[in-house]
Amino acid sequence: MTTADTGIELSERLQWMNRLIEGWSIYKKNLLGKIGIILLVLFALMALCSFIPPLLDPMYQPMAGVDPEISTATGPSTRHWLGTDFMGRDILSQLLTGARIAFMVGVSAAFMSVFLGTAIGMIAGYVGKFMDTLLMRLADMIMVMPALLVLLMLAALFGQLSIWFIVFFIALFRWPGVSRVIRAQTLSLKHRPFIEAAKVAGASNLRIIFRHIMPNVLPLSFLYMTFQVTSAIIIEAALAFLGFGDPGTVSWGMMLQWVWKTGHMFRAPYWLLPPGICISLITLSFYMLGRAMDEVLDPRLRKEGETD
Amino acid sequence: MEHVEETILEFDGIVKKYKTRAFLFGARGQDVVALNEINIKITRGEIFGLVGESGSGKTTAGRLIVRLEEPERGKIYLDGNEITGLKGKISKDYSRKVQMIFQDPYQSLNPQLSVYDTISEPLIIHKIGNGKARENVVLQTMKSVGLSPPHDFAHRFPHQLSGGQRQRIAIARAMVLNPEFVVADEPTSMLDASMSAQIFNILLDMRKQFNVTILFITHSLAAARYLCERIAVMYRGNLMETGPADDVLKNPKHPYTQALIDALPKFGNSRDVNRYDTLLRSERVPSEHIGCPFFLRCSCADQIKCSHEKPPLMRLGDSHSVACFYAEP
Amino acid sequence: MALLVVDNLSVGYQGQKGYLQALEGISFSLEAGKSLGFVGESGCGKTTLGMAVMRLMPSNGFIRNGRIIFDGEDLLEKTDEEMRRIRWQKIAMIFQSAMNALNPVHRVCNQIVEAIVTHSPLIDKKEAYEQVRDLFQLVGLPENRIRDYPHQYSGGMKQRAIIAMALACNPQLIIADEPTTALDVIVQDQILDEIKNIQTELNISVIYISHDISIVADVCHHIGVMYAGQLVEYGAREEVFNNPMHPYTRALLSSYPTLTGEKSHLMPIPGEAPNLINPPSGCRFSDRCAEARETCRRNHSVWLELAPTHKVLCHQCGKNCGQ
Repeated sequence: MTTADTGIELSERLQWMNRLIEGWSIYKKNLLGKIGIILLVLFALMALCSFIPPLLDPMYQPMAGVDPEISTATGPSTRHWLGTDFMGRDILSQLLTGARIAFMVGVSAAFMSVFLGTAIGMIAGYVGKFMDTLLMRLADMIMVMPALLVLLMLAALFGQLSIWFIVFFIALFRWPGVSRVIRAQTLSLKHRPFIEAAKVAGASNLRIIFRHIMPNVLPLSFLYMTFQVTSAIIIEAALAFLGFGDPGTVSWGMMLQWVWKTGHMFRAPYWLLPPGICISLITLSFYMLGRAMDEVLDPRLRKEGETD
Repeated sequence: MEHVEETILEFDGIVKKYKTRAFLFGARGQDVVALNEINIKITRGEIFGLVGESGSGKTTAGRLIVRLEEPERGKIYLDGNEITGLKGKISKDYSRKVQMIFQDPYQSLNPQLSVYDTISEPLIIHKIGNGKARENVVLQTMKSVGLSPPHDFAHRFPHQLSGGQRQRIAIARAMVLNPEFVVADEPTSMLDASMSAQIFNILLDMRKQFNVTILFITHSLAAARYLCERIAVMYRGNLMETGPADDVLKNPKHPYTQALIDALPKFGNSRDVNRYDTLLRSERVPSEHIGCPFFLRCSCADQIKCSHEKPPLMRLGDSHSVACFYAEP
Repeated sequence: MALLVVDNLSVGYQGQKGYLQALEGISFSLEAGKSLGFVGESGCGKTTLGMAVMRLMPSNGFIRNGRIIFDGEDLLEKTDEEMRRIRWQKIAMIFQSAMNALNPVHRVCNQIVEAIVTHSPLIDKKEAYEQVRDLFQLVGLPENRIRDYPHQYSGGMKQRAIIAMALACNPQLIIADEPTTALDVIVQDQILDEIKNIQTELNISVIYISHDISIVADVCHHIGVMYAGQLVEYGAREEVFNNPMHPYTRALLSSYPTLTGEKSHLMPIPGEAPNLINPPSGCRFSDRCAEARETCRRNHSVWLELAPTHKVLCHQCGKNCGQ
């Protein structure tokens, strides 16, 4: 607490907590939201636990670790709870690592695309005129491009792509969608009386965008982040499955690639099913999270009986 | 209250037009004249009422004063200085002197900002004082609009407060810079009677405490009578009648003002006979006419003169002016 | 016999924070061909009252007890199907901002025709169209505008169209909830005149709900003043206006600026309306009332009859207030 802090600013922080608590109590009531959160917590645990197996025994290393006694794909056993892949590597540790990668890719790409999309959307919407046209035509051009195909071409050009490169490019392809929505929201806010009041008070355009428009647009941004995460995870998985992922990273898509490439698709369900199910479930759970958050953020969507 | 008869704000030949867009396959977009050659002089320290129905241009006039819009023609003067077309630093300085209270208390406050943040914002924008000094000013202003004790309200958010309380916040925000001139755009039209009464009294109080000049925009003649020393009645972008409030409302000279007074519901007494009866039951067929804006609905209009000549504002008596050829003093 | 008798009606909403008592013990009666106005500030329950009579409560609304006897039958005992037949044919409603109730993509005449045909399946479209022409004449809309779209109408015209729609099936009762709020003074005056004329011509009963006491005084024979979900004063319009008894009514009347008469300082009512989730046990107005006593705060108020048609929900009246 610095000397500039006043009693008022302290109680404002308490207000934030109150709002969080209020938001949570509304969120709780949504069944989808509850399922989503539970699933996400499970996946988060998986990601955290991914560090454990290699510590227990080097043969559990997802990429390099090989069971000295096994050199083919085997089913679940006490040593390998989900079995081994074609090289004798533990599938469970690969799955856990995949969870970590999924979160990393999903959240990073989503964060970057939403950051870009929000900033661009706000500026385009508020400033309008030439800047708006310029930015939105740029967005249109990018939206029209098939993200996956372009990434495949780049992979073909540059050889293998690193995981961060993939993340960066996913963000680059996905910001236009966010910016359109944020721009629309900004347009509707632009003419609201409280914005005019800020103008009358002498606020500069920059101040209005960041102090007045942004806080009212951020809830929407957060919401879109959840949708972007699902999209990012799927793109990465598709790339890896097609063989254009980062060869040094063990992701679920990569696991599927190995199953396919080594011809074990119909022979090793214990290897094929876990990564596929995980991809589906994690995207589903982020989607459910987004839907439930929608209700928290937009009071109008709350079901009746929940009015305050 | 003694104050020198000094003009603080002046409208000189103000014209404001809006372009309407063509509706699908309908007529091409036409210009809507929101303000048609308006001339007003407002005295320092008074509460001046701008009265009219929707479409009269009263809100537009208010918006021109706070520079949310610019007029097509004409000039506006504050303290003798021209303010139309100001840019940059001078424009920002202007906002310290002229502020606005908006109509809708549910929309004119940022829902994400606390009460304290909303009211301290103008001070931050103009870099007035440091944290502690600012806090004092904000709390003092909150007290003066009746948000007492201030600490109870400071960290609340608009959605937790009633319409009347929100409007007080809007007034505090407008007054925190100690402006010279405040435009109050129908500040009570969305409030109940009791809250409206509170707001009226607060405005009177503000004028007394801060000696601020207020332009009170309203559609309610009774509210104008209660608050204002002088009023101007507007119709379709034109001034119809101006003068001391009591005078204009007790002895209205313009047929439109008379029609407005006739239209008011009468408490308890079911008088069905209109006092002035200046309104036609159905409008005249419109034709291209450049005469009096009220011609189409006026029952005492002259077919030739009123439809071809636009009556200027003519002084009738003690600062009471009317835009009508047939008004009698 | 009275057309509508409401007896001890209590209505509430189940919300997140608890049960909100929107209406408590409302009783009144309305004769055929007469008009009754309910006045009160926002939150007093007047809109809820209108919706309750039509049985159009939202899913979290409950009619706790009471009776609504319309034309001799208790509406609360009707099934949904029976209520559907009563709505619009016997009781019609004009909602707040009803002008927005017109569908912008259909012509006005077609919308009214649809309203007629839906409720009276025996009438064919041609006949319905003729009825619409009659209705237009009744509400003062020019016949050459009958085939226009809603956006071509002004605010006042849209409101007249809504009134025409409400009258389409010849109801016995119309409930009008703030029908003129969004309109200008002159148009409002004309609409109110129309309503008065229609009421006398067709002998329809009208319940008029408004926050503006002057409008209600102009239009209605009887007035009910509502506060915090209760009816606090009820009487003929002259009685309530020239001789208001309840402290709230008097405070309300003195918080309006007037155009004529002495220019006195407006006295707003101090404090705020009570929380209806936990209403006070005594008189609900007691914490804002200048004349409140201990009994007011402790005990429920009772109805005091000041005249055969004038009653007040107060402990003090008859003793201290007024004459």
